[in-house]
Amino acid sequence: MSDDAFLRVSEVSKWYGDEQVLDGVSFEMDRGDVTVLIGPSGSGKSTMLRCVNRLAEAQEGSITLDGEEVLSPDTDVDELRRDVGMVFQSFNLFAHLTATGNVALGPRRVLGLSEEEARDRAAAQLERVGLADQLDSYPAELSGGQQQRVGIARALAMEPKLMLFDEPTSALDPELIGEVLEVMRALVDEGMTMLVVTHEMSFARAVADEVVFLDDGRVVERGPPEQLFERPEKERTGRFLERIASHD
Amino acid sequence: MAGATRPRTVGERVADADPSAGRILLVAAGALFWGWLLVSWVNRWLGGAIAPVGEPLVAPETVEGAFAAVPGLAAVAADAAFVVELTPVLAQGTWLTVVITGVSLVCGFFIAVPLAVARVYGRFSAWLSLGYTELLRGTPLLAQLFVLYYGLNLAASVPAAVSGVFPRDVVWVAILGFTLNGAAYQAEYIRGAVESVDDGQITAGRAIGLSKLESIYYVVLPQALRYAIPSWTNEFVYLIKYSSLAGFITVPELYYRADQVATETFRYTAVFLVLGAMYLALVLTASKFMERVDDRVAIPGLGVDRER
Ligand SMILES: Nc1ncnc2c1ncn2[C@@H]1O[C@H](COP(=O)(O)OP(=O)(O)O)[C@@H](O)[C@H]1O
Ligand SMILES: [Mg+2]
Repeated sequence: MSDDAFLRVSEVSKWYGDEQVLDGVSFEMDRGDVTVLIGPSGSGKSTMLRCVNRLAEAQEGSITLDGEEVLSPDTDVDELRRDVGMVFQSFNLFAHLTATGNVALGPRRVLGLSEEEARDRAAAQLERVGLADQLDSYPAELSGGQQQRVGIARALAMEPKLMLFDEPTSALDPELIGEVLEVMRALVDEGMTMLVVTHEMSFARAVADEVVFLDDGRVVERGPPEQLFERPEKERTGRFLERIASHD
Repeated sequence: MAGATRPRTVGERVADADPSAGRILLVAAGALFWGWLLVSWVNRWLGGAIAPVGEPLVAPETVEGAFAAVPGLAAVAADAAFVVELTPVLAQGTWLTVVITGVSLVCGFFIAVPLAVARVYGRFSAWLSLGYTELLRGTPLLAQLFVLYYGLNLAASVPAAVSGVFPRDVVWVAILGFTLNGAAYQAEYIRGAVESVDDGQITAGRAIGLSKLESIYYVVLPQALRYAIPSWTNEFVYLIKYSSLAGFITVPELYYRADQVATETFRYTAVFLVLGAMYLALVLTASKFMERVDDRVAIPGLGVDRER
């Protein structure tokens, strides 16, 4: 545990009504790290990500990002969210806007760029994810893989310090997964700090610095991918890995 | 299938030709109707540049003569002349009907959108919004107009700034009544559409740093208002017809004028048939217009008949 961790999640707990969804979750990441969060459905992975950008409110614990306490009531959540990009399982592209419109909205309305600057930035980000030829397409005119890449470009356009990915490929047809993972890998190579919920094991193995296994709102086990995947210490981890391996 | 070889049946040809023929007829009728209205209105504003104010654009005798010359139409020549005699009064009444409907609809819209948003996303304001819509939708529109006109005597307190815009200040009372009432109905249609927008849209807006209100404004409403158009058109159509209730608080709109003429001439059937045709023309114009708007703003790639 280094004291200058870029993202430090410590003892975070969250309840929805009487149901405890997160139970003392802790992990930390350095700048440029990739952490992969795995766990069964309903184990609290999405909730954990959402606590980091305050789309969900943790009731206990602390999360610091770049030295700032995220959970403090004084934190400007809009400012926080500018610094933390999020990519959703179901893309959540703005249905009424073109690819460019989707990516430009944040720079225009949140960062206050001019219309033209925002469009230029959008075009650059879309090119970065390989969609230079789809600038004027609407979400409903794009394939799932293309939509998700627009989703990534939309998050990148805010120039975030940290990217959150919530199962970015699990709504995609298998043949479209590759193009999204490729974009994510390129981001890793550029040094982006990424917290990723995914069950794409080969991706995790290739790029993760650490894998965190969450079950029932608790961190069961965490470690480098080769260790966690090859020699899990906990029986529950092993069982879970077997289960998802048999799906591949 | 290789090349169409089978000759088309007559039935198929009629089915194909029919829509376009019907369309041409409809467009021609619409052009005649609106052409007549616009020329009548402009004529009145210009103080009778085209025909003396209060006189038909075409002399009734001319029309009567023309009808009499056609064997099949000779029997209704006198009726035709009577209808032509009515046209100045009808055009004048229609002006108020159109203005009252249009202004009330637009003003009501700007009240309806916040009402709908409050209803879906508000806490306390959701209850206020609910109370407002239930009150306005749950009581008769005519009673609301009576309260504004007779009860509160609002015609006497029309602000000086807008007083005199219309020949009679009571028109403002009607506009206020239809605005407040229409807002409640419009809010219901818009609320349905707002609710149909996926929650993930707002989440995505908030995730890039938009506030909740900004997300609603930039993300939810542009979609919801599009989806609301078909059902919202109902309110447009209703308002055109309900605007006739303004006649009961002495607004000289279309219905009031026609009713007056019918009482004076005792030709109820002819007058109210023409009146019905007038409202039908207005309603058809409104719904066709909104269909066009709906097509124009449709989001590319999304099915035309998007399910809710
Ligand atoms: N907005 C919410 N309201 C109530 N319960 C929720 C909400 N979001 C998630 N939950 C519950 O929290 C638990 C964890 O959900 P989630 O974080 O989505 O898990 P995962 O992403 O690992 O599948 C589940 O039991 C889910 O039903
Ligand atoms: Mg999830």
